[in-house]
Amino acid sequence: MSEGPRIGVFICHCGTNIAGHVDVAAVEAYARTLPGVVFVQRNLYTCSEAGLSEIRRAITEEGLGRVIVAACTPRTHEPLFRETCREAGLNPYLFEFVNIRDQCSWVHMHEPERATEKAKDLVRMGVARAWLLEPLEEQEVPVEPAALVVGGGMIGMTAALSLAERGFAVKLVEREPQLGGLLLRLDRLYPTHEDARSLVEKRIAQVQASDRIEVFTSSVVTQIKGFVGNYEVEITTLQQPATSNQQPVTTSFRVGAIIVATGARVLRPEGMYGYDGQRVITQFELEERLRNGTFEADRVVMIQCVGARIPERPYCSRICCTTAIKNALQIRARRPEAQVYILYRDTETQGTRYEAYYTQAREAGIQFIRYSLQQPPEVTGERVVVYDELLGARLGIPCDFVVLSTPLVAHPDAHELARMLKVPVDEHGFFLEAHVKLRPLDFATDGVYVAGTARWPAHLEETIVQAYGAAARAATVLSKDRVVSSGIVARVNERLCRGCGRCVEVCKFGAPSLVERASGARVARVNPVMCKGCGACAAACPTGAMTAMHFTDEQITATVRAALDEWVIG
Amino acid sequence: MSFEEILRQTRSILCLDCGKCTGACPITRVDPTYSPRATIERVLAGRPEELIKNDYLWACLTCRLCTVRCPSGVDYPAFVVAARIEARRAGVEGTYAHNAVMQELMGLMALPVRQNRTGWVTEELQVATRGDDFYFVGCLPYFDVVFADLGIASTDIARNTVRLLNRVGITPVVSDDERCCGADLLLNGDEAGFRKLAELNMQVIVESGARRVIFSCPECYNAFRNDYPRVVGPLPFEVVHLTGLLAGHVGELGLGELEETVTYQDPCRLGRYQGIYDEPRALIQAVEGVELVEMAKSRARSLCCGSTGWVHCGHCSREIQATRLRQARATGATRLITACPKCRIHFTCALKDMEDEISIEVEDLTGLLVRAL
Amino acid sequence: MEEFQPRIVVFACNWCSYAGADLAGVSRIQYPPTTRVIRVMCSGRVTSGFILEAFRRGADGVLVTGCHPGDCHYISGNLKAVTVVQQTVQLLQLLGIETDRLRLEWVSAAEGARFARIVTEFTEQVRALGPSPLRNTQHAIRYR
Repeated sequence: MSEGPRIGVFICHCGTNIAGHVDVAAVEAYARTLPGVVFVQRNLYTCSEAGLSEIRRAITEEGLGRVIVAACTPRTHEPLFRETCREAGLNPYLFEFVNIRDQCSWVHMHEPERATEKAKDLVRMGVARAWLLEPLEEQEVPVEPAALVVGGGMIGMTAALSLAERGFAVKLVEREPQLGGLLLRLDRLYPTHEDARSLVEKRIAQVQASDRIEVFTSSVVTQIKGFVGNYEVEITTLQQPATSNQQPVTTSFRVGAIIVATGARVLRPEGMYGYDGQRVITQFELEERLRNGTFEADRVVMIQCVGARIPERPYCSRICCTTAIKNALQIRARRPEAQVYILYRDTETQGTRYEAYYTQAREAGIQFIRYSLQQPPEVTGERVVVYDELLGARLGIPCDFVVLSTPLVAHPDAHELARMLKVPVDEHGFFLEAHVKLRPLDFATDGVYVAGTARWPAHLEETIVQAYGAAARAATVLSKDRVVSSGIVARVNERLCRGCGRCVEVCKFGAPSLVERASGARVARVNPVMCKGCGACAAACPTGAMTAMHFTDEQITATVRAALDEWVIG
Repeated sequence: MSFEEILRQTRSILCLDCGKCTGACPITRVDPTYSPRATIERVLAGRPEELIKNDYLWACLTCRLCTVRCPSGVDYPAFVVAARIEARRAGVEGTYAHNAVMQELMGLMALPVRQNRTGWVTEELQVATRGDDFYFVGCLPYFDVVFADLGIASTDIARNTVRLLNRVGITPVVSDDERCCGADLLLNGDEAGFRKLAELNMQVIVESGARRVIFSCPECYNAFRNDYPRVVGPLPFEVVHLTGLLAGHVGELGLGELEETVTYQDPCRLGRYQGIYDEPRALIQAVEGVELVEMAKSRARSLCCGSTGWVHCGHCSREIQATRLRQARATGATRLITACPKCRIHFTCALKDMEDEISIEVEDLTGLLVRAL
Repeated sequence: MEEFQPRIVVFACNWCSYAGADLAGVSRIQYPPTTRVIRVMCSGRVTSGFILEAFRRGADGVLVTGCHPGDCHYISGNLKAVTVVQQTVQLLQLLGIETDRLRLEWVSAAEGARFARIVTEFTEQVRALGPSPLRNTQHAIRYR
């Protein structure tokens, strides 16, 4: 056997939690027989200061090159023992945890003999793995304490202000010539009926008053490089007013975090229900007319779910029911004798406030008529004909105006931004968060967050909450001086890399990328700061070029062999 | 084996240090820091431990291009294999491709498993459980699973082989108990594993009553001819590669006509190892209308498909495959015909990453012949 | 005769299944001591090679566990485990090793009872199949 590492094994009694069900003396005696083990000690509580100082002492005095603690679970105590090793000058990745409590003594309390045998096996597996552990380095990278917010609507501005209030510099990029987004063109907001424009104008004034926010209007993001804490962004600005011979201006800056708040746009229902933008208009167009005071009508029919909840666009746009109710009430408020019919498939007015809002509409005499996807209403001249599902009859409703409730749809250039950010969009083109419940405002890529209707259609108050949330998430990165990568990352053996890109395909975090060798051939490189150490790339790599550090093929294979009572290394 | 013995047996002691091997080596072409000459010199200088620890030991394709050129007849691939056996003895292994799944399968086949590996046999095929002719299928059924993502069914080769054999009046034995031939384990330095597989295969074939064993895979064929006798003694049956067998029965095949231009890849173990160059070409040309055009390097000077032994299949392999595929495309052929299932896998894999550059169909020789039936 | 005690190798992902196994302990839920858990960061790290290695070394069963679909700490590593296990099942079929000896299960960090139940059930399933025919067929240096 070649000269191996000097391994120390610490067996924790955990009071009686382990020692009460496992013969720890037998485990100790067994551990002494294992190859490379030069030191074995039992502790009442290895995690106590007494236990930890024993580890430090043994590392120094016994010259330990590996430390194994057989105790509870790495999920709670690995950081503590790793730090103890580090304090004694041993690379923390040369520490190995063996779980003989949560997954042994506690679950085999009535079978002490077999629990002891299992504990021995687990220690043997730990020793086999410890042989092959390698010291790993953590990388530290300074964080640029500035954020990029893409999108200067209500959500982008709110997020930008929230970050500026925390003291971070913000670059706010808006593609339109002015800030404000869709709200600028709306009339009033449900359920309070306050003026949309004055709300957004107030926010614009706040943004313009902030000395930490730099606003770029008529600008689009054209390049994003880098990683969490260190994004290099290039934007292109078209000067205003636009003239034919002007050159776009390119600006570059560095930011530590990015918030996507690009919003959504309203579907134009071309070719549906005789849409003409004159007498058959969208809710969005109705809002503009209501705001201008140019809307005059005695009979209005609103059709819901126009282009939504259909096979090619199956999602519910969430805001349309409440919007229709609001606009119906607005029409009635201006002309009490006006008749408003809402032709719906299902009415979704969730929560206490919106349910009350719906009741308010019914009380106000707004007519709700249910139609089905199979028999949609027909707009013919001055009438809308609809098959009333509940009545079981066809109704002809004379009207002056038809208003179509169309869904919010993703911006067509969301794909381009997503590509630059290396983040996903869903099948509808909306940005896709890392986890719908656990990480709703994050992308898998660290340092990039999402808020507002860029993610999916939502009420304004919900998206405002998201704006604050995304700003808070970004601040968790920006408030640090440095980002530290784990030592558990993937590493490429360039000689074995064929540049096939399988690793790039499987990685959700953008850690590996293909670069050109001097010869022009491609080779994978891993950015350790972006790597999460999951090892999927190592499993996907066809050649073995990619190694998941701390979970290498050799380490796992040796553990499998040791689990089955074999010993092949050494 | 001691390194002294290895040097003697592989004639490496006769090395003139001329460097013709290095000049011929396809690995060196891509990675000039690799040198067969320097590798041998290092051991001749008495430092074999350096070789054992160096991952260059696993780079050699054992393609024999150097051996063909060597004025002293040094068998460098044999030297490499012997050195790998020593390395493995010292606990050093190469980096296996595909998460070592092929090595695991070979290892498992060396154990008392009861396989179900003849599921590829379709109803119209005539096969037997005992008889004069044993068809040694090799690992094709396993390739179907492991390389499913390449979109090729390697067992097509087995079905085509049996169809062709049936045409010439042969009903071959196929067996669930056949094992991997072990050639790749030997290339990985696992002599014990190879020996075990060889013994198990001998038992299966002898029990089938076969007097002749037919191979569609050149690597299996070469293993039986070159390596088996060393561990199991003289073979009590004849061994023949399918191309050699069919070349003598062209008339009986009843080949029709195809309109296409093809080029042919000489598999290392069919060509340089066994000297079979003419038979596959004769079979291709027996199909009326098929034009065979040769690549810039062919026959004994043919370039390897870039990977052997499912080990160390990296940057060099990829570049060699790219070079070879470009040579194939330069002939103007629409199909690259090979007589080795592994060449087909390796080229198909390489093509996957070169789709935007090269479009050529990689086909096994049996596929071409069956299309012409 | 003493009851056959299967030897089962378990691959458990750090974030869900390993935590679920810990929770079984914290909740003192008892299950048979037939498993030896190997912790990986993600079930997507598990390869056919590791599973086959376990069988080659005589494991009576192999249990791969990961986060429930949609819950993967790494987004979708667990779906890669599905592909790997499916491929391995096909290889086991060819090799003539009972495919019931390999199982893939989702266990969340909150499912201690589920982990215990799966181990108990799988132990019974493997026990019914009997010892692996590949037990004690290797000639490695043995300790103990």
